[in-house]
Amino acid sequence: MKKFQFVLAALLLVGMLVSGCGGGEVECTDEWGCAQIAKGQTVKIAYVGPMTGDYSAFGIDMSRGSEIAVQNKPEIKGFKVELLKEDTQGSPEQGAAVANKLAADPQVVAISGHTFSGSTEAAIPIYEKAGIVMVSASATNPPLTKLGSQVFNRVCFTDDMQADFASKYVFNALGKKSVAVMHDGGAYGKGLADMFAEDITKLGGSVVASEAITPGETDYSAPLAAIAAKKPELIYYGGYSAEAAVLVNQLAGAGMAGIPLFGCDGTYGEDYLSLTGKNSEGSYSTNVPIPASDAFTTFRTTYQSQFGDEQGKLSPFSPHSHDSTAVLLAAIDKVAKVQGGTLVIPRKALAAEVRATKGFQGLTGTLTCSSTGECAAPSVVFMVVQDGKWVEGPGQ
Amino acid sequence: MASDAQVPAKRFINLERLVRPALAVLVAAFVLWRLWDVVMVQKAYGGDTWVRFAISGLILGGVYAVIALGYTLVYGILFMINFAHGDVMMLGAFAGYFTLEAFKSTGVLDASLFSGILAVVAAFAVGMGSASLIAVNLERIAYRPLRTAPRLVPLISAIGASLVLQNAAQLMFGAARHTYANPAILDRNAGWQVMISGKPVLVSYTGVLTFVMSILLMVGLYVLVQRTKIGKAMRAVAEDKQAAALMGIDVNRVISSTFVISGALAGAAGVMWGLHMGIIYHYVGFLPGIKAFTAAVLGGIGNIPGAMLGGIALGVMEALGPAVLGLPFQLKDVLAFSILVLVLIFRPTGLLGEVLARKKA
Amino acid sequence: MTVRSSLRAGLSVGLIAILMVLIGITQLSGQLVRGWFGLPSATPGAWLILLLMAGWAGSRAYKQAKATSWGAALAAGAVPGAAAGLLLGALMWGIGSLLANGTDLRQWLAQLSPANVELLTLGLPPLASALVILAALTAAGAAGAALSFASERGQWGAAWAARRQGLGAKVTSVPAIEKFLARPNARQIVLIAGLALLLLLPLGVGQYWNYIIGTIGIYVILGLGLNIIVGMAGLLNLGYGAFFAIGAYTVAILTAPEPHNIGMSYWLALPIAVVVAAIAGILLGIPVLRMRGDYLAIVTLGFAEIIRILLRSDVMTGFTGGPRGIRSVGGPELLGIDLNNETFFTYFILVGIVLAAFIIYRLQNSRVGRAWMAIREDEDVAEAMGVNILTYKLLALAIGVGFAGFGGAIFASRNRFTGPEDFTLQVSINVLCLVIIGGMGSIPGVLMGALVLKGLPEILRQLDDYRMLAFGALLVVMMIVRPEGLWPSARQKNELRVAEEELTAGPGTEVVEA
Repeated sequence: MKKFQFVLAALLLVGMLVSGCGGGEVECTDEWGCAQIAKGQTVKIAYVGPMTGDYSAFGIDMSRGSEIAVQNKPEIKGFKVELLKEDTQGSPEQGAAVANKLAADPQVVAISGHTFSGSTEAAIPIYEKAGIVMVSASATNPPLTKLGSQVFNRVCFTDDMQADFASKYVFNALGKKSVAVMHDGGAYGKGLADMFAEDITKLGGSVVASEAITPGETDYSAPLAAIAAKKPELIYYGGYSAEAAVLVNQLAGAGMAGIPLFGCDGTYGEDYLSLTGKNSEGSYSTNVPIPASDAFTTFRTTYQSQFGDEQGKLSPFSPHSHDSTAVLLAAIDKVAKVQGGTLVIPRKALAAEVRATKGFQGLTGTLTCSSTGECAAPSVVFMVVQDGKWVEGPGQ
Repeated sequence: MASDAQVPAKRFINLERLVRPALAVLVAAFVLWRLWDVVMVQKAYGGDTWVRFAISGLILGGVYAVIALGYTLVYGILFMINFAHGDVMMLGAFAGYFTLEAFKSTGVLDASLFSGILAVVAAFAVGMGSASLIAVNLERIAYRPLRTAPRLVPLISAIGASLVLQNAAQLMFGAARHTYANPAILDRNAGWQVMISGKPVLVSYTGVLTFVMSILLMVGLYVLVQRTKIGKAMRAVAEDKQAAALMGIDVNRVISSTFVISGALAGAAGVMWGLHMGIIYHYVGFLPGIKAFTAAVLGGIGNIPGAMLGGIALGVMEALGPAVLGLPFQLKDVLAFSILVLVLIFRPTGLLGEVLARKKA
Repeated sequence: MTVRSSLRAGLSVGLIAILMVLIGITQLSGQLVRGWFGLPSATPGAWLILLLMAGWAGSRAYKQAKATSWGAALAAGAVPGAAAGLLLGALMWGIGSLLANGTDLRQWLAQLSPANVELLTLGLPPLASALVILAALTAAGAAGAALSFASERGQWGAAWAARRQGLGAKVTSVPAIEKFLARPNARQIVLIAGLALLLLLPLGVGQYWNYIIGTIGIYVILGLGLNIIVGMAGLLNLGYGAFFAIGAYTVAILTAPEPHNIGMSYWLALPIAVVVAAIAGILLGIPVLRMRGDYLAIVTLGFAEIIRILLRSDVMTGFTGGPRGIRSVGGPELLGIDLNNETFFTYFILVGIVLAAFIIYRLQNSRVGRAWMAIREDEDVAEAMGVNILTYKLLALAIGVGFAGFGGAIFASRNRFTGPEDFTLQVSINVLCLVIIGGMGSIPGVLMGALVLKGLPEILRQLDDYRMLAFGALLVVMMIVRPEGLWPSARQKNELRVAEEELTAGPGTEVVEA
């Protein structure tokens, strides 16, 4: 036994003797330091999102968008670009863990992410400290750009926009004045639901019932019965498609057949339709319109042929993650300099360059970043299920 | 060190004697206040809503009870918490799912009323059968070698087995949700509309099926354990393994039979879950498994009527409790576990008491 | 008789092969082999694992049949191979036919993409591929039996066995290592050398590895704490993560700008977190410690879930930050210098581990430790001997969860963030598993366990999808093969081994304790 333990201990100690690489000394005057990519090393950009777990459809889809962007620009000044794909399973905690991990890697230059708002919020202070710039394709929580961060930017709409537009649509176009609000207790869903409740109350509507459900369960008949007792005209739901599907399936059983479920961009997709069948007729969701262009058509073809799935089937955000990565690559190309065989990327200059993006032609439109990091042209479109398919809702 | 050990002892004993009655008074006061607030002051819900809550609770409770029965059987014989029991239920649910999918793909599912019924019966048969097989093999591989080990060892093995089953299911069937293909006669939104307080309340066919099956299974198990030879053998082995072996009972066979029955119950629960709730995925067995063990402990571990009572009580508490106490539904699990703690404080052997051998685990 | 058992073995292998295909292990094996040997396709690796299994079944069948001639050996091996091949072949024939029909099987069985199926069907029509599989596995079984036969009977069998022995002896009996191990304080020297290495390590490796070492370190602290509760006092606590959460959230609430902006110094918040966790442990303990072991398990589990749900809930969002968690958690500062980097934390954690280990070591050999041992062995006897059960149990609980509070405080400030999903049931189960796998009741055991639990997945990144599956299987296997853990305390090993010996010796024989 002693020998076994000795060998084991020795093996493990040896195994731990992995040292980080050291680079040659290069001149760097940037306030936040510089990333130094030695010859033969890669410029690392990380896509961060839920690659596994309940929300893996988002992560897989958006990482593909980033991949296509890197394929369109595979090298920066002769140095190969490497796309890392890191998994957060959508949780803030894993977002922080991944951020810490990436911040400690000296080759990581920029982040396309994170994907979920909670995970992004946890990561921003960490990247801020390390001076690593981020462009998120889908973190829609409004406070993110109000944190005073110099590294965070995004190319998508924000949830206060979504809640604002949604409340106006529900109140005016659909004419529903007394609504119920539900959410899944998560950072994104709760944030959206709370903002919607506030907005519709300001418009003159009333929130007659409000319940939070626990995600991952398959029986919500009790909270739905509680909501039914208050007789709402519509239920607004903040969360993702798996739970929305269960809710919509059990609406009739709770006595609310015919009451529409109004979802958000998290509930949009094929998943929702296949899990609900007939039950989802007349339910709503939010989608992001992509302007038609040659570049987009090419993107769609490439996506389909390379990955076998139709673009937009898994999530609506692959064009956004493509754009976020493209913006980053363009900025890196501008500020990177080759010094004696090493590629030197000054971090603060890079963040400033990203923030100064103007008139960038992306798939999602023309991107110009505001001083707080909002780079997208805000617009959402509301979709309704008709005959088992998503179509644009009336009155927009 | 010696004097330090003496003085705290006295203080703690006094604390303990105060704690229980103080706790009782606090809890009672809280419950009464909430009840009064909800029922008298707010008049929050009409009769129809209360009935909906009750239906939801009874159905959920029935499923919990069936799973709890499986737990209690295994615990009574082996004194181990079969952590993997919830995942056996999940696999049974998937087996039923594939059966129904097979019927659907070949077009037989909705061909006629009879074929629909046949599909459901087949789903139950396949679900229960495969769950039994899995449970028996689980015992043979992961538990039998550890029968004499201290308590923690088979527990860790069970946790490991649970992880293996869950992840194997995720790898095999994917992480996405799957919808149960009910035949048209058993559509999840179809049922009887009962008028209560002037409003129609849906009593769905699947709900009734689930509840009735739960009762049948519970009664069947009780009869099996009390009246049949194998049941007698199981009770003998549970009471004293060595004595039973000396009396000529094949202990290994009895234990395998216990797992067969426990697995069959879990499989039935899984199929019922799928038929009524409609959505299954690889993680669907984990929380019901824990809740069911809570229910078994609540009713008195090793006690079959106790498991039934505990299961139904837990289900009803989850559905009605938040409404009655005016708490948000998000906290229903908090409520369930708090009730467990409270029951165990005031009645440490569970509601109906334990039925176990003299051996202290 | 033997034919039946070898048939059954073959059927089992067949079933396992089917499961492997459905779970995706065959294609994993194919990818790994392709990567290691630089092969152009994944097919060889996929077949390799199947053939190896069939061969193993064949050789076992041969050994059971005790065949005496080549023919008999081949026949004995072919039987299980054929059985396995029949099952797997039937499956591939079914899958192949369905695919030929145009059905996409991935809606039901996620691993059956056409590419993966082709690894086994080799692009042949369904029936042909099934026959190929049948033939291949039968041949593999026969070959396995033949190999066993040859190695036992053939001329080069003895030489091969002798060489294997020699190799084994050479590895373990390098004269220098022998001499070193013979020294009375060999163990201490290794430990001290290890410690010295650990002290210099954080300076040498980059931030990334410091982060990983730090994570392992935090789990070591947690493991040491749970070790006191479970290993030394024998209380089954399945909800250890709750106290981890309490420690983390206490520090977060006291130091972060949101939601309360108390702005306390980290050095003050840290001990407060430990004390708060200990108090929580005592409060939970008083009503609950009278319960029997398994009841305690479910109640502690429930308590952990209660804490997590409350931390996340709408009701408590004003106090705990809700699902968004708490950001910008304060970090350690000394004389104005911000110490919030990975290297410092690694050292800090190391100091914590040494402190914890020291406390445990002193406790183990004190009156308290002996009281815990007595309680763990037999409560009634301990009580009869005058040990105040409740006090010592509460003490174990308080000290144990104090460690968790400490670990949580470090965890929150190192991540600069804390949220409810950091403290799922999985965390509690992980800590319990690492204590048991490492070896209950032993300090180096906990270290081992943490290294295996947290370090291994980082090294095995390629197996990411299969990580939890492998971990679960490892748990089961370890419990069967080595239940006392990787590095057990001498006492535990004795206990478990004696129990085994009593069992195998049968009634009527006495087993003398070594």
